[in-house]
Amino acid sequence: MKASKILSIAWDNLKQRKLRTSLTTLGVVIGITTIIAIASLGEGFRLEVRQRMEQGFELDVLIVFPGSFTAGLTGGFSQTDVENITKISNITAVTPLITIPTAELYNMTDVKLGAFTVGAVNFTEMKEILPLRFRLSNGTFPQPGENQSIVLGYKASKVNETMVAGVGDNVSLIVKSGNYVVYTGNFTVSGILDKGGTSGITNFDYWAFIPIETALEMRLFKDKPEPYQIILVKVSDPQYAESVGREIENLFPPYSITVFVPSALMRQVDNILNIVQMFLVAIGSISLLVAGVGIMNIMTVAVMERTHEIGILKAIGAKSRTVLGMFLAEAVLVGIIGGFIGAFTGYGLSYGLARILSNFMQPQRQETVLQAPETQRMQISPVFSPEWTIVAFVFAIIVCIIFGLYPARKAAKLNPVEALRYE
Amino acid sequence: MTIILGVKDVKKSYRMGKVLVPALRGVSFEVEEGELVTIFGPSGSGKSTLLHLIGCLDRPDEGEILIDGANVLKMSDDELAELRLKKIGFVFQFFNLLPRLTALKNVQLPLTIAGASEGEALEKAEEMLRLVGLEARMNHKPFELSGGEQQRVAIARALINNPKIVLADEPTGNLDTKTGWEIVQLMKELNEKKGQTFVIVTHDPHVAETADRIIHLKDGLVEGIKEAPKRNKP
Repeated sequence: MKASKILSIAWDNLKQRKLRTSLTTLGVVIGITTIIAIASLGEGFRLEVRQRMEQGFELDVLIVFPGSFTAGLTGGFSQTDVENITKISNITAVTPLITIPTAELYNMTDVKLGAFTVGAVNFTEMKEILPLRFRLSNGTFPQPGENQSIVLGYKASKVNETMVAGVGDNVSLIVKSGNYVVYTGNFTVSGILDKGGTSGITNFDYWAFIPIETALEMRLFKDKPEPYQIILVKVSDPQYAESVGREIENLFPPYSITVFVPSALMRQVDNILNIVQMFLVAIGSISLLVAGVGIMNIMTVAVMERTHEIGILKAIGAKSRTVLGMFLAEAVLVGIIGGFIGAFTGYGLSYGLARILSNFMQPQRQETVLQAPETQRMQISPVFSPEWTIVAFVFAIIVCIIFGLYPARKAAKLNPVEALRYE
Repeated sequence: MTIILGVKDVKKSYRMGKVLVPALRGVSFEVEEGELVTIFGPSGSGKSTLLHLIGCLDRPDEGEILIDGANVLKMSDDELAELRLKKIGFVFQFFNLLPRLTALKNVQLPLTIAGASEGEALEKAEEMLRLVGLEARMNHKPFELSGGEQQRVAIARALINNPKIVLADEPTGNLDTKTGWEIVQLMKELNEKKGQTFVIVTHDPHVAETADRIIHLKDGLVEGIKEAPKRNKP
């Protein structure tokens, strides 16, 4: 018997029992809807998290710290260390950074500025490495030689939202060590950095920056062989980040430095999200298995009901595999129809859920160091994934075949004489 | 004359609970091509069992059944199905039409199973329904047809693959005398016209008498074979 004919007979049989077919199909629809909705929402959530992480971290920038997180981030880097790192391939820029502890900034009327940290940097290199973060809203970066210039972060220039130091104003820097003042100096504000935007580890809103040459002249750092606390490294492409990170680690004795690779962190987060998504899909799949049991149940009843009919078919010459095919075709058709409708309702449901979820995720308005006020609200948009659709669809058909196989085999194995006698 | 059907010392028992009930206890006979033979006997004589064995719906415990020279006993289930499809046509007491299909679709079924195209099956089915005098009721479903009409549909279905042997199991058993007689006459007519071999199982002596030969079956044994004198084949 031709396969097309078997399919059309199966289709006729399904049409004969519309209510029963619809209910069986509904089971598959619910299963596929669940899987698709979870998968597409999960994918959307993952993209949103990924996007946020990309905003928070520059994936092509590595941050090198001395020491280790467990043993303490103590020690520093020498100029030779910086030069050695520069020699690694696939690196476009390297810059050392000094953070000045216990530094305080005052304006001319002795108001303490909002700056938490004062860093000493090479402005040209910083601009190159972090072009998005190291961006001015006002003024200019200090030119080489303008050693008494300072650049303030967006919040560092303010106290309670009030601007206390603008471009051209003078500020004084006081650095203490214990109770002793070890440095005082006057600086002219040459520029104010733009808002840092979303959170990330390199948000400079509360920082102030002075030229690195100036810091190196301070007594604190002047004769120190290893004055730098952080080295920023930019790779030519994020794909090299991890290998460059390993090469940097190899330049130093084991565990003496820590290389922070944002892209590796992101991969970890991505992996975790993947696992969570798989887990949710697995839970969703259970509903499809329940649908499969429903199919098996309905088909077993159908085989009993049609025993006599099967006897007739066999008596007039239908082979066992033809009978098997007819019943399996019914199961497959239920799978195809259920899968098809389920894909539509699944995406429908995920769009609906996304709207509801997005409404729940209103931005929190309080301002913290880590959370800039302009944090956008989380917007999950479900992702239509052809792969997931195909996987769900095929899964539906496979479940239908597996659960349809038992009743179909039962039908195929019926003895024709006994089947004919069955009323 | 060619022997189309050979039955040699066929035995068959059924298990009823723990007891083995012998249905056939060593039956032998032969049927020539083009003959119309009736297997006659009271109920419980093993007629239907015999017909099922000849029709390859079941296998004998012992003995040989040869259909068109081929030994049924050695065939696989699929080969038996193929044999039923191509060489055997069945007519049942209760018609056994598929209730949801029209007369035309019911008749098409064996050809469809054999893999014929829709067009070919349709054409052939129409021809067969004309042959049994049902051209006007082709698109009716079984429940819209009388018993006699349903049996005609069943006969048309049995003939569509042009089988060597048509087996009828009490074809008149569920019909009134007049209609039953018409059905027997139709089968006789077809037998004469198309030269197909007919083996009809009946417990009705009138039906049995229409045959070329009557095989008397009693308690699972052939009691006697009687040539019908009133019919001479050319």
